[in-house]
Amino acid sequence: MSDIPDELKYTADHEWARVGGTDGKQTVRVGITDYAQQALGDVVYVSLPEVGTQLAQGAPFGEVESTKSVSDLYAPVAGTVAARNDALDQQPELINSDPYGAGWIVEIELAEGADLSVLIDAATYGTLAV
Amino acid sequence: MSLKRSPLYERHVDLGAKLADFGGWEMPIEYAASGGGVLKEHTAVRETVGVFDVSHLGKATVRGPGARAFVNACLSNDLGRIEPGKAQYTLCCDESGGVVDDLIAYLVSDDEVFLVPNAANTAEVVRRLTAAAPEGVAVTGEHERFGVLAVQGPRSSDVLGRLGLPTDQDYMAYADASFGGRPVRICRTGYTGEHGYELIPGWDDTVALWDAIVDAARELGGMPAALGARDTLRTEMGYPLHGQDLSLDISPLQARSGWAVGWKKDVFWGRDALTAEKAAGPARLLWGIEALDRGIPRAHMTMLAGDGAAIGEVTSGTFSPTRKVGIGLALIATDVGAGEGDEVAIDVRGRRRAVRVVKPPFVESHVR
Repeated sequence: MSDIPDELKYTADHEWARVGGTDGKQTVRVGITDYAQQALGDVVYVSLPEVGTQLAQGAPFGEVESTKSVSDLYAPVAGTVAARNDALDQQPELINSDPYGAGWIVEIELAEGADLSVLIDAATYGTLAV
Repeated sequence: MSLKRSPLYERHVDLGAKLADFGGWEMPIEYAASGGGVLKEHTAVRETVGVFDVSHLGKATVRGPGARAFVNACLSNDLGRIEPGKAQYTLCCDESGGVVDDLIAYLVSDDEVFLVPNAANTAEVVRRLTAAAPEGVAVTGEHERFGVLAVQGPRSSDVLGRLGLPTDQDYMAYADASFGGRPVRICRTGYTGEHGYELIPGWDDTVALWDAIVDAARELGGMPAALGARDTLRTEMGYPLHGQDLSLDISPLQARSGWAVGWKKDVFWGRDALTAEKAAGPARLLWGIEALDRGIPRAHMTMLAGDGAAIGEVTSGTFSPTRKVGIGLALIATDVGAGEGDEVAIDVRGRRRAVRVVKPPFVESHVR
């Protein structure tokens, strides 16, 4: 059984989004779900975008590789990469051990007019993660 | 068509295995839910011991007067080089020199040879042998008459020893033993590069043997290991996988498996084509490649020269859990003149990533 925290938003691509922010700037922290990390198996390499990269909603922005396969990461919202989780360069396994915490992937500063309504809630995601 | 299941299917489900289709068989990729996962299972085999269910592997017996001579006139390697009680890696080629399958031949006697082909190719190997068999020699497919377990790693003899099973066979030699009063054939072989054994119990005896072996392995710090780890382990050794690094389109010479061809034999399938290819020199050769940055080679990626020209193709690739670097096997055109230590590149989804050409294995072999 996979863990799907209620307080997060999700995408059909098995990513989670934590909407937050300070100083009037809205940011979204993004990672892959517990279901996704279980399906991938041991993550051995994560390719991350540079800070400042502009992302269109739904655009691929990086890759997560296991021993066997490669999966694209898709921007859940439009915006600019405000932070990347550099720890994943040396410890990609954080995505397996703590997908919602230390295994976060990027933070995106929302573009003006970015649409959050496409994100789905935990209950809806739960019907996809089976 | 529904997938076939190993006699250990229920054990895999109980261990929370992730299951997938391997040559028409529903087999475990990894046991992450019960404390394993590809990396842990891989490490267990390198450092202690791992227990694999490889019951999807084929089994066939060739029996009758002159069975040994008959098989020797079909398969590539020379059964004259070994004695009864020994096993041999060999190839089943077609007349054009392509590889129908690679397999292990157990020489029982002049009148009996036991074969272990790959799951997906067993029916074809049996079909070709049956069609060629002389009067009095019978080829019998026995895919679901036997299970196959692989016990691999530095503690593998301790595991078998705890069960009272023989362990001092030479590399590629086998012993016919019994466990719980039931017969089991035990060969010093494997596909991991570690000291190990493959055990062939009767189909219905497989569960009891698995349970005893897994218990003993766990007591020694080992664990069940699945086919995901078997693939990373064999890739670290540079062992070709049929269907990727060796196939109807990739000859034994190209895959550097010419050592498994009995060149001095008068007859074997594909002899004329292979002899001609040997004389002319193969047009491409299988090399190891090692990533020089963070790229991970994957099968079917294009190999690139310094000027960006395509020079070949990756046939297998993964992240090496032991070396912590991307590794792979790749066919490189011979006329490029690539050699050990050369820096070339792979096309990783449109990005150029540097790799070094190397000679496998990527990790020291401990099979002997």
